[in-house]
Amino acid sequence: MKRTRWGGELLAGIVGLLITLGISFAVAVVLIVLLSRQPLTTIYYFFVGPFTNKYYFGNMLNTAIPLVFTGLGIAVAFKSSVFNLGGEGQVYAGGLVATVILLALPETGGYPGGVLALAAALGTGACLAGMSGLLKMKWDTDELISSFLISSAVIFFVNYFITGPLDDPASSMLATNAIGSQYHFLGIFPPSKLDISAVLAALAAGLVFFLMYYTHWGYEMRMCGLNREFSRYGGINVSTYVVLPMILSGALHGLAGGVAIMGTYHVAVKEFSFGMGWNGIAVALIARNNPLGVLPAAVFFAYLDAGAKAAMLHSDVTFEIAAVVQSVIFYLITAQALYGYMRYRKGSP
Amino acid sequence: MNEQSFTFPLLHNAVGIMTPFLLAATGGLFTELAGMLNIALEGLMLAGAFFSVVFAGLTGSLVLGVLLGIASAVLAAALFGAVSLNLKANVFISGLATNLLASGLTVVLSFQLFGNKGVVRFEIPQLPALSIPALARIPVLGDLLIGHNVLVYLSWLIVALAALIIYRTPFGLRLRGTGLNAATITSLGLRPRRYQMAGILISGFTCGLAGALLTLKLSAFVPNITSGRGWIALVAIYLGNKTPWGIVIASFIFGLAESLSNYAQGAINIPADFILAFPYLITVLAMIGYSIWRHYRSRS
Repeated sequence: MKRTRWGGELLAGIVGLLITLGISFAVAVVLIVLLSRQPLTTIYYFFVGPFTNKYYFGNMLNTAIPLVFTGLGIAVAFKSSVFNLGGEGQVYAGGLVATVILLALPETGGYPGGVLALAAALGTGACLAGMSGLLKMKWDTDELISSFLISSAVIFFVNYFITGPLDDPASSMLATNAIGSQYHFLGIFPPSKLDISAVLAALAAGLVFFLMYYTHWGYEMRMCGLNREFSRYGGINVSTYVVLPMILSGALHGLAGGVAIMGTYHVAVKEFSFGMGWNGIAVALIARNNPLGVLPAAVFFAYLDAGAKAAMLHSDVTFEIAAVVQSVIFYLITAQALYGYMRYRKGSP
Repeated sequence: MNEQSFTFPLLHNAVGIMTPFLLAATGGLFTELAGMLNIALEGLMLAGAFFSVVFAGLTGSLVLGVLLGIASAVLAAALFGAVSLNLKANVFISGLATNLLASGLTVVLSFQLFGNKGVVRFEIPQLPALSIPALARIPVLGDLLIGHNVLVYLSWLIVALAALIIYRTPFGLRLRGTGLNAATITSLGLRPRRYQMAGILISGFTCGLAGALLTLKLSAFVPNITSGRGWIALVAIYLGNKTPWGIVIASFIFGLAESLSNYAQGAINIPADFILAFPYLITVLAMIGYSIWRHYRSRS
């Protein structure tokens, strides 16, 4: 029986993914054996820890929620061959703006205020990333570097507001005042922090999938992603599709920040969103930029984080081993040599 | 360094501050000319910074510290190169991986070795300053050029050497050829991948030295001490129009900006976070200015 080309690609993709994950797990084991004085305990908590009780398991899923949003944000950009490296700052600024709005609102019903805060978070991210998109469109400024630099500067400004004018002097943490409890997302898996925004994340994935594959805009974005010159020849207004994916990408990042504040943190703590932007890139790559694939990929990444946290709490290693394991995945996830059949266009991840 | 003894401390300090940018950008230029985007500069520099001060602390020797720091950065560059070239990973993603690995591994090792994830201090000798009397006699400029540590002067030699290699040797010609058109290099019976690997390893070498300069000057390791310098160096390559001399000018501008913000911090009451954001802002503004200039030049 002749194997179809698509079937072959899918198979090679899965095999490659398994190799990547296998190597990254092997690195985790080697690191633990080298670093831990009680390697077996550490290995147990690193791999099994997140499943040992409801609290850990729920928190693991909760960690995945912002990663779904950032992963979707990156997937939209990468599918359009536009690069947004400013995720970190966009999430952080989105979270701050949502907090500020919720703190400023009079104590009324939760819904309009919550929606307003999320919209503002979304808008903040969209503006930050949109700037890089506009610069690229107007003067061909490299969006990859400009988005990173803008985001890095923004992080310091957010730090300033959180630790300066907005700091809650009564709290020992470097954090703002807490938002009103009417704005907290409803918990759905006590005692863990998992909340109703899990549904929002799943909806967002579905929505982005629909946008990318079933709408005119999505089609043109993907076409520009595949071949910008060909798209221009085909009559697509390609300059729009430098800015639009950036705006969408930034909006999803900003939303991640707002959701993290309303669902998990309830105050803007200094560096609360650290890593959400970078990990979103890895999540999108594991998902091969497929919006629906982002869901399991985000859970997987949250699993690595949760495992490292459990290992840190119950044993003697530090949390950052997760970053080392994640970097191994980063290294291998686009390696064509591991993904035999997969065809890549030069320059696109 | 005694700042009072210099007529223009602002400019003098800028020369010291620009050195890590200059070194990282010079090495990165080799990668760039070989046609590869090198966003791993940041991570390579961080690896050099960590391992140089750790090895200097362990051996008590600055020279060994610098050499082993460079070796670590070259090793990290080799990993980055092997994954990008041999496993054919996307160079942009494997560059991010290198940065992530460096920031994760340095913290893990710092925790493991010193039980501390924060600032780690080391009992090591100061970097010796070099006095070159001939330089001091140059009016105005002499003031900028004297009284730096040895690594600063070494960086100038490296830039001159880089220019020589790039423009005056067969290797440099082939490296540039690889970036312009890899297929031509292949048709000449050469392997473009080798030149790309060489470019990556060279960037590891200079970034290692740049990192060593950062930590040895402080006699301490601070987590993420590079704080975006690798990225700024990458921008310096573009602003310098991909030439060694252009990179010197671009790095000096960034050095001056940082020197200026250091002074502003002392003189006016600006929040520290704004000062920290300043290098990024000035870099992005410089980049936008450059792209506008290029845009209108290509039109006319």
